[in-house]
Amino acid sequence: MADIAIPKDLWDVGKTPEGIVANWFFTEGGSVAEGATVAEIMVEKSTFDITAPSAGRLHISVPKDGVVKPGAVIGHIDSA
Amino acid sequence: MSSNRIMTVSRAMSEAIAQEMRADPNVFVMGEDVGAYGGIFGATSGLLGEFGESRVRDTPISETAFIGAGVGAAMAGMRPIVELMFVDFFGVCMDAIYNLAAKNVYFSGGNCKVPMVIMTGTGGGYSDAGQHSQTLHATFAHLPGLKVVAPSNAYDAKGLMTTAIRDDGPVMFMFHKGLQGLAWMASPEGAATELPEESYVLPFGQAKIVRPGKDVTIVAISMMVHHAMEAAKALEKEGVDAEVIDLRTLVPLDRKTVIQSVKKTGRLIVVDEDYKSYGLTSEIIASVVEENPAYLKSPPRRLAVPDVPIPYSRPMEQYILPDAVDIAAAVRATLGKKAA
Repeated sequence: MADIAIPKDLWDVGKTPEGIVANWFFTEGGSVAEGATVAEIMVEKSTFDITAPSAGRLHISVPKDGVVKPGAVIGHIDSA
Repeated sequence: MSSNRIMTVSRAMSEAIAQEMRADPNVFVMGEDVGAYGGIFGATSGLLGEFGESRVRDTPISETAFIGAGVGAAMAGMRPIVELMFVDFFGVCMDAIYNLAAKNVYFSGGNCKVPMVIMTGTGGGYSDAGQHSQTLHATFAHLPGLKVVAPSNAYDAKGLMTTAIRDDGPVMFMFHKGLQGLAWMASPEGAATELPEESYVLPFGQAKIVRPGKDVTIVAISMMVHHAMEAAKALEKEGVDAEVIDLRTLVPLDRKTVIQSVKKTGRLIVVDEDYKSYGLTSEIIASVVEENPAYLKSPPRRLAVPDVPIPYSRPMEQYILPDAVDIAAAVRATLGKKAA
């Protein structure tokens, strides 16, 4: 199992404390390839792609519109 | 090959463009903020990193210059995709669009092709006022020589964009901002769809029956398809079985699918986010009536923006834009039913 985490230095929390999960590009339980863009995080009006750390089945723990901070785990991948 | 990816319209567009750019070195993108910003509505996201500044070109704020440059590049053998950020900005570059891009194929006796895509953001509903909220589909559909595309979802957007890029004539690819799946603008369920990774084309001029039904035909395009589907769901609870048709392209226009549907249902509602007079709604109704007025069991109805600029005021804007409640009411009226 591999965590899908938001990089710790993705944005400056001193300026913007929180972001949101703007989109998930796969459904819960969907199979994903390593490196696939699985989600998109919005911070103010900028967006950042989040990629799959490994191949396997996607499990979502923070749904679309959920509030997140840098370093947060938003889901994980179960190796198939 | 099926895919379990659920992609937004903006990602579908940028993926189609990237695939065509990989396949054909003559394809390039030009426009305001299409580079590092990835397009204000996300249609060119990720392209600069892969293809570089020579093929993903940020332009100064002069539509007159860069739409004109696009026409020249197309006639010289390139396949430009040029973004007109908001369709409302067409005023300063219309000569390049309708006197050059649209006509040069004819004026040259077919010797010059203009393989150019003008992609442009349309639509309102988010309080951006009268110069940033129009759809203007019919303004372009009215002029011979332009093809006009307006997808309602990601799957169609990718296939229609690929077809547009490969087309040897000028194509207006008109995408609704509220369908793009942008993080900062809500989009309806159903705009993002499963999206195959591989490249595919969807033919122009083929409407899609997105919901089959027998009691009434609702014809729509772009954002209005989603409102029509919401109305159809509400009507289903009242025992009304509505057929919903997504035209997908205005030029060429799939009149046949509409006529066949009305022949079956006998009733017709046309809904459009463009202005009412001289527009899509009357064109569709005329197409049916020219074929056979006896197909209609009751007068057809049209829902569109009344002939005023889109208001900035939120209550006023929401009032003039057709929505699911308006569509359901029109369906009940055409069926002679009382309001639910």
